[in-house]
Amino acid sequence: MGSDHAFLVETRLSTLARKEGFDTLDAMVQELFASGKSRLAIQVVSALVERDTHFNRDTKSLDTLFNIALPDLVEKRGGGRIDLLSYGCSSGQDIYSVAIRARHSATKTMMGKAALHMTGVDYPSQALERAQAGRYTHFEVQRGLSTRDLIANFTPDLAPGSTDWIAAAHLRENVTFRDMHLMSGSEDIGEFHVVMFRGAIEHYTRTARVRVIRSLTKILRPYGYLILGSGETLQEQHSELEAVPGAPGLYRRLKIEPVYEPVGKQPNGQTTFEGSKARRTAGQ
Amino acid sequence: MSRRCLIIDQSSMVRRVAARIIREFGFEVIEARTGQDGLDACAGMSPEAVMLDWKTPDMGGAEFIAKLREIMERNGTPMPTVLFCTGERSVEQIVLALKAGADEYIMKPFDSDIIGSKFALAGLLDTAQMARGESAACAAH
Repeated sequence: MGSDHAFLVETRLSTLARKEGFDTLDAMVQELFASGKSRLAIQVVSALVERDTHFNRDTKSLDTLFNIALPDLVEKRGGGRIDLLSYGCSSGQDIYSVAIRARHSATKTMMGKAALHMTGVDYPSQALERAQAGRYTHFEVQRGLSTRDLIANFTPDLAPGSTDWIAAAHLRENVTFRDMHLMSGSEDIGEFHVVMFRGAIEHYTRTARVRVIRSLTKILRPYGYLILGSGETLQEQHSELEAVPGAPGLYRRLKIEPVYEPVGKQPNGQTTFEGSKARRTAGQ
Repeated sequence: MSRRCLIIDQSSMVRRVAARIIREFGFEVIEARTGQDGLDACAGMSPEAVMLDWKTPDMGGAEFIAKLREIMERNGTPMPTVLFCTGERSVEQIVLALKAGADEYIMKPFDSDIIGSKFALAGLLDTAQMARGESAACAAH
């Protein structure tokens, strides 16, 4: 962050300080450093790193979901429940954009008897709280969301002075939000037919990238889909995932789990690497 | 030929701010204060887009669209894309505007993100054009 971000930092953190019951931003910072409170620390960091998002972000990759991934899953499963995860769901616009499009008549026809259930996960944050509340500002509902979709799925908050819009009950029907520590990988969040992880991978280091894709692959059902942003590709090889031709950012999980070592390498009883080079050389 | 957008609003401040944003999106902007001035402007040069307040000093939004459609049919020119830009935010009002034939509906106050997004939803801009206009970030009440 450069010095020109000072205003942004101050605005975001002052909002948090007020919400957390501090008189001033300074008071909150004092408390944070004095007590080392982890929950507060998480809130502070998340207020700073919250990504600016909007409804129907990256429509190309949403098209991929509705035109390629879901029709294939519906055909294979012939009905029942299809579970979708939005990993790093932030303030929830991605999930609600999917939920809105799932209610379009063309999608309903395509889905037939299958029901789409959507789960958004992110770090505990103000953004996630807003997602759970389904409450968006006057500005947010006018970014990426058509007026028809807005009035069909949101109602204006009638409280005096408020210009917010609130997600209607029907829109939240199959929508769940959960907070979790994304990189810990220890929490059980179930299995999914589709995992959406869009527009974030470029912010990860190589190691973190490999780790996050591995853990997302683990929660993906066989033949399930991983959806990255339409301009994103996996930089590393992941043997359990194959790119779907003609669908940028779309990967399918293969059925067979490579439990064993790569082909040609058999266990040799060795538990250390010591002397392995000598053995290999001798064997040639 | 440059693309033209007509802005109809009683307030010169709203017109000025909106015009600045819409110019950034590559449109030539024409301003009018009343519905009739707007209709006259449309008859002379058929704009690609019209952005207007629901309540102009001399006519309502539905009446404006009906008259505009009449003029365009008479001249054999295509109907412009119509966006309302107004302070009214009730669902009933928005439904009325869409029924009257509006392509999109902008609630004031707006900023360049909102205008860019709504222009894109109405098919007037693609994503790349929206990005170019982002430098014009400002808000108007």
